[in-house]
Amino acid sequence: MRPTTTTNVVRKYSWQFSGMVAHIIQRVTGVLLLIYLFLHVHTIGELSQGQAAFDQALLMFKNPLFRLLEIGLLGLVILHALNGIRLTLIDLGLGHKRQQQLFWALSIGVAGLIFLIAAIPLFIASVLRS
Amino acid sequence: MPAYRNVIWWYVQRITGALLVVLLTMHFWVEHFMSKTLMRGDLSYDVILSRISNPWWQGIDIAFLLVALLHGLNGLRNIILDYSRVGPRMTQAITVVLVVLGVMWSWWGIHAFSRL
Repeated sequence: MRPTTTTNVVRKYSWQFSGMVAHIIQRVTGVLLLIYLFLHVHTIGELSQGQAAFDQALLMFKNPLFRLLEIGLLGLVILHALNGIRLTLIDLGLGHKRQQQLFWALSIGVAGLIFLIAAIPLFIASVLRS
Repeated sequence: MPAYRNVIWWYVQRITGALLVVLLTMHFWVEHFMSKTLMRGDLSYDVILSRISNPWWQGIDIAFLLVALLHGLNGLRNIILDYSRVGPRMTQAITVVLVVLGVMWSWWGIHAFSRL
């Protein structure tokens, strides 16, 4: 067994496809978020039809399944944002030599942490109490 | 088309992306995590009415929509052009379609506040 040195840890996380995966993640989540923005503007657009129409349009969002999907949406937003920050850092020339580690640290690590911190209270408040 | 035009759109994508990180953080913090009603997902007409009565929020929301649309549709344009082999005329046509879509979409969102 190899001793656990920093080099070995770095080697373990330098998966050669991480850049490509990050690129695909950014495109897929981007398109999904644009589709959601359409749905969101559609719902908000019902405001101009008056109170009854708007509250009717909101009924769909009160469904527990839809609330779970909303937490998924939060995950998409966080993933796209952190992966985008990674991309911007690389474009600025900051850490492009370590772009693979940056993928694991930001797009997976920090994004996963923020998602957990945000999703747990949201799940308790919204899904369990509905 | 001079090459630098595309570079400008690359910058626009990064700048709008950075703006969206700020706007989204604010959006989630204020509209989801700081409000018990909204945390439960109990959004209603009255909740929006009281929020939108503040012109600052109205301005921020409209700016948020416009920045998100610019970022989203520009991103979609990048994707379409990456996976297709089209000439400059077709590229221009795709751009025009997306701009028209963006203008309609913006109007749709802004118009929502018109009766409040």
